[in-house]
Amino acid sequence: MDSKGLKGSRGIIAVIALMIIFVGVSTSLLQLNGNVARGISPEYNELAPYEAPNNLASWVYDYRGFDTLIETGVIYVGALVSVLAIGRGIVRVKGVEGDAPVAPSSMEFNVSTLNVILKYFGVPVIILLVAYALLVLTGAATSGGGGFQCGVIFSSAYLLGMIFYGRKNPLNLSKKFLIAIGGVGWSIYALLGLPGYLTTGYWQYNVGADLWTSGVIPGVDGMAAVVPDILRQLFGDPFRLLLVMSDGTYASTAGIVPLINIGEAFNVIGAICLIFLVFVYGWNDEEEKSR
Amino acid sequence: MNESISNLWSIPLFIIIPILTAIALNIMYNRKKAISVTAVASSFALVVISALSPFGFHWFTGHPAVLPTGGYTYRADLLGWRLSLEYYYGPLQQIAIFLASLLLLFVVMISIKSLKKNIGPYISLLFLTFMSSAIVIMVNDFYHMWIGVEIGSLIVAGVVLASGEAVSQKAALKYTFFSALSGAGLAIALALILGVTGYSNISDAIKAMPLSNGSLASILYVAFGFTVLSWVYAGGLAPIHPLKADVYGASFPHATVLLQAQSKLMLVAIGLLLLRVFGTLPFAKEVMLSISVLTMMLGVVMAMLQTDFRWTLAYLIVSHSGLVTLGISLGTVQGIIGGLFQAINDVVYMSVLLLACEGVYYFGRGTSIKSVSGIAKRAPWLAIAAILGAFAASGVPPFNGFQSEIILIQASLNYGMPELAIVVLMVSVTTFIALFKGIYNIFLRPDDALNNNEKTGTPVPKILYACLAALIFITVLFGVYPQLAINFLTEAALKVVYIPWVP
Repeated sequence: MDSKGLKGSRGIIAVIALMIIFVGVSTSLLQLNGNVARGISPEYNELAPYEAPNNLASWVYDYRGFDTLIETGVIYVGALVSVLAIGRGIVRVKGVEGDAPVAPSSMEFNVSTLNVILKYFGVPVIILLVAYALLVLTGAATSGGGGFQCGVIFSSAYLLGMIFYGRKNPLNLSKKFLIAIGGVGWSIYALLGLPGYLTTGYWQYNVGADLWTSGVIPGVDGMAAVVPDILRQLFGDPFRLLLVMSDGTYASTAGIVPLINIGEAFNVIGAICLIFLVFVYGWNDEEEKSR
Repeated sequence: MNESISNLWSIPLFIIIPILTAIALNIMYNRKKAISVTAVASSFALVVISALSPFGFHWFTGHPAVLPTGGYTYRADLLGWRLSLEYYYGPLQQIAIFLASLLLLFVVMISIKSLKKNIGPYISLLFLTFMSSAIVIMVNDFYHMWIGVEIGSLIVAGVVLASGEAVSQKAALKYTFFSALSGAGLAIALALILGVTGYSNISDAIKAMPLSNGSLASILYVAFGFTVLSWVYAGGLAPIHPLKADVYGASFPHATVLLQAQSKLMLVAIGLLLLRVFGTLPFAKEVMLSISVLTMMLGVVMAMLQTDFRWTLAYLIVSHSGLVTLGISLGTVQGIIGGLFQAINDVVYMSVLLLACEGVYYFGRGTSIKSVSGIAKRAPWLAIAAILGAFAASGVPPFNGFQSEIILIQASLNYGMPELAIVVLMVSVTTFIALFKGIYNIFLRPDDALNNNEKTGTPVPKILYACLAALIFITVLFGVYPQLAINFLTEAALKVVYIPWVP
């Protein structure tokens, strides 16, 4: 819709609607000021020392970990649909001549005019960005960061490489590789729910941290299952930390949370890099087949 | 009525199987044999699981509920604040997911048979459409409902885009742009309810709702407004009905079967949420009823004006969404049962009509009444299926549409609003006229080109006839024995009216 479409009665309706929304939201936020209910959050805070030192990591990838699995899916589906719009996976009915598919052309992208300083400056920056992405990923459970942030930083390094050096950039990742790594990432995340499901019946139960069958927290009624020691050690011990806090010392482990972050990072790298690559160079089935 | 089990085995499978299948199919891309085996096996597994599963809850990540007296419990029937994300699989969810998985199986088989090469990503999106439907109908959590709506909108855009035509691209782009508002609306509503109650679990939020606090109660009105906005966009209700109709019309008809099922389940899920959380607010039901009536009337009027059978069906789907929401908006047990039954029936008979339309598409001359005619001579069974589907959609006995529409009429009369009953009747009559205008021109009107033995298109696959037969059987079954379906819907209606905090 161009700006002309918003003139006249449509424009007036749009302005009135926006004003109503603005007034409604802002008065609600003002009324909430100082009245925000704490609800369930104190419970999460109480449990925090037994899991990831970064409380946010426990919330996002443990307590609400299944939410985040589907949110991760939004990124995966976003890439799938974006690339479909460019031409990967357009389907036709056998024997029916419909309208010809719209074939978006690739961007006119030329790296030959880049100056020498930028060209030499690019490689160390890309190396630094990738290193930073790995740092953010490995520190997911203990500090701000995680798989998503790692994926975004890595993707920015990839985009920088494409802008500076074109298709044959230092991170020379093919479309097939990116599609595969995105899928593998989301699969890793999804399948990390399996150990908990098989041992306790609860999908994505954190068998590494194992707050509820190991007796760490007393007063639990109803969980009959016991996580085998081998699973607890396999998923928990590599990430164990000694937390010295004002009310005591806790031997906490984030359990499967760091592994989920690795899956998330793969998914985001695959999805976002694929979008960059296909938006810049387009998609051609014949060309892909010959590669 | 209130199950205690909190780790029901089947619930995660309804989400994880489609995810893993979708990933595998996307990677397989053009390996048709592998895609066929994987897709049919997965969709068949979903049908079997939905049919065999008992009822219960699943608390994802396995954190217990916090008891008001202190301590923790894994019993879902005890009063407690949920630490985990909660899904519920009850009778309503069973019939809805069973039907959605059956449609997925049909649509997958038809796609494999009728589409040529590179079908991996497309069928992958069909599985994800099922996944988003399953999420919204099972989840008992504001935050996750939002994610279900958000990912659902994106998937719809992908399914529409898959045909690659300009009209599909335009419809998908417009829908994606505006449907972002749906997710955003639900997100703002979620933020306000979280601020007021501190809980994202719907049951817990209802229990903690500060209805007696006047100043905070006004925030609930704003949250209600945004949730209604989300309902309107996710379900394609008036005034944004043309966007959703474009999406239905621009997709392959077999894909629209799944898209309309997803849309109906979203209407049901968000509609029940509105009643559970905001049903006691003055004017809430009146707002919902007004939107429903407007949708029904605008939908049928637009359907009458169409000359392409796909677009006629698209607007009728929108119009009949209004019938679903009308029943839910009444807020009575009878009204809700009527609305839910209408949703189930609507999905079935619209699937019959859409698959008949798919059959017409295979003749290679489009689906416009101006360009195609005389199909009954070449495909008499297709014509019979379309006529039976039209009878069901128009509320003619002994088909299923009659049974749900009669409940809606009775519910409207018992609610003291006979004018709503008149609107339902008017929708039935105009549906009949709109459908038979298309059916006469496409199937029954003599065709010169056909008489000259002009051969175009491709033979209608046998699997399409098999799917049509199965769906027509269901329309007759629910028409003759409605109690079979109603038994699955009564519990949900009773809970919403009398114990809204129980999912």
